[in-house]
Amino acid sequence: MIADERRSIIWWGWVGDHLDDIWQRTVEHVQLTIIAMLVGCVISFALALLAVRVRWTYRPITRVASILYTIPSIALFALLIPFTGLGILTAEIALVSYTILILVGNTVAGLDAVPESVKEAADGMGYTRWRRLLTVEIPLALPTIIAGIRVAAVTVIGLVTIAALIGIGGYGALINDGLHRNFPTPIVIGATLSICLALLVDGGLAIAQRLLTPWRRGQ
Amino acid sequence: MHKQFDGTVRPAVTDLTLDIAEGEIVALVGPSGCGKTTTLKMINRLIEPTSGTIMVLGEDQRSLRAHELRRRIGYVIQQIGLFPHRSVRRNIGVVPELLGWDKKRINARCDELADLVGLDRDLLDRYPAALSGGQQQRAGVARALAADPPILLMDEPYSAVDPIVRERLQDDLLTLQATVRKTIVVVTHDIDEAVKLADRVAIMNVGGILEQYATPDELLGAPASEFVASFLGRERGLRRLALRTVADIAPITGPTITPGTTPAEALEAMARFGTPWVAVAEGEHLLGWVGRDAVSECPAPTVGHLPLEEFVSQVSPTTPLREALDVIVNARSRMAVVVDRAGAATDGSTVIGTGGRYLGMITIDEVAGGLES
Repeated sequence: MIADERRSIIWWGWVGDHLDDIWQRTVEHVQLTIIAMLVGCVISFALALLAVRVRWTYRPITRVASILYTIPSIALFALLIPFTGLGILTAEIALVSYTILILVGNTVAGLDAVPESVKEAADGMGYTRWRRLLTVEIPLALPTIIAGIRVAAVTVIGLVTIAALIGIGGYGALINDGLHRNFPTPIVIGATLSICLALLVDGGLAIAQRLLTPWRRGQ
Repeated sequence: MHKQFDGTVRPAVTDLTLDIAEGEIVALVGPSGCGKTTTLKMINRLIEPTSGTIMVLGEDQRSLRAHELRRRIGYVIQQIGLFPHRSVRRNIGVVPELLGWDKKRINARCDELADLVGLDRDLLDRYPAALSGGQQQRAGVARALAADPPILLMDEPYSAVDPIVRERLQDDLLTLQATVRKTIVVVTHDIDEAVKLADRVAIMNVGGILEQYATPDELLGAPASEFVASFLGRERGLRRLALRTVADIAPITGPTITPGTTPAEALEAMARFGTPWVAVAEGEHLLGWVGRDAVSECPAPTVGHLPLEEFVSQVSPTTPLREALDVIVNARSRMAVVVDRAGAATDGSTVIGTGGRYLGMITIDEVAGGLES
């Protein structure tokens, strides 16, 4: 009887017994995602501003970011472990590096799409460069920037599961556990919750974008 | 001043000296590449001159930091460039906000400006995207005037709106200018716009060479060079007529009689002027006109008893001569009667078409004579 339940796609009895564990993994998954996204955003915005201000830096920045993006995540872990060990730092470095291409690309595209006339008007009215950037250009670039954050967040939530390979938790730990024991339930639970979290965050950001850009409604 | 952009062989603006008096509208006109926009942008330092100085209100404009200078100079551009993410009210209040005015004062100023530029106050709380092109243009002018700058720079302000709206916006600017008395520099490629708006017009040639800087009337009457003449185009005389009004010329009495005139005398007046009709006026009141046939068959002792027809071809002293000419050429009689309607409206008994002070008649000769002075 027990053997049968173990082999079924989902064994609700196990789920009921492991709610604490699942909650713990959820917290870890969310933490890893938030840290990666915050650090990724800070680094990417800085790089994007540099790229917009000093135009020639844009190509090298995106070149490096796209190389990082193309490295398979497992290979990146392998590359990093000798320097940063098995742990959260390694995981975060990998996660952050995957956000940069998307975030820099979208931020630069968003800032570039601000109409020339609006920038000229801002200059003509006597805006300083920083003020123009903060109060005119960034607000107008928000839809594109948030679109980038959505893609990056969904990517990171999916990638966090792989960090289980270097002993970092999250839903990946559930999946890993199931794989090792040939036990489908934690795999299904881990994968399903990871997908749900991704959809939830994506939807939440979509709503945030609409709230932050009221002027785009009805257009 | 002089401007040469990096990487170019020919200067964009060559040794330009331009003196703009306080409170006047100056238009910078010329073909593309003549440096008119570059010149304008050097005034508020969106472009820095390579050499030379620009004095603004008796001060070297470089004595201020660029963004501070710009807050004191209104700026209107062709594409308007309203901030799409801010309400029209907050767009208009941009410069006062930069200058640190408090919210209440900014709001009151926005309401005042909306009225001044003819923008419905209800539109103030919308986003710019909800406004028509003409309304956006008005909002752009309101924004430029928000902090009451003494100087207003306008870069092709009306070329993005359709001709009917453009004409109205131009008229409104002139009305506005009568109250605000700003020093306005407007860049345009449209010579008609320049002639209509400006007190003085600077015609520039490629490379920022100033060809002529004069009043529209002087320009049209005596173009300084072949280039200026060709730029002004044909119909120079007609354009000059547009600058003057009927008040600038002396009307003739023409075939005018009083109601007490006998039919014989009326016929004599017609013969003297070669017209098949006479105007009937009593003092300064134009009563109408009567045709030869009616006078010949007049049974009464005076023409005053005859039914009078109303003059269709009327102009007033404020009618531009170009328009008056149009009225004259379209009139069967080749004449227009001049009636001053100012004050006519206050007289309740006055019937439209017959009220006002009758000043005389004008023909094509009087209009043409107007260009000689």
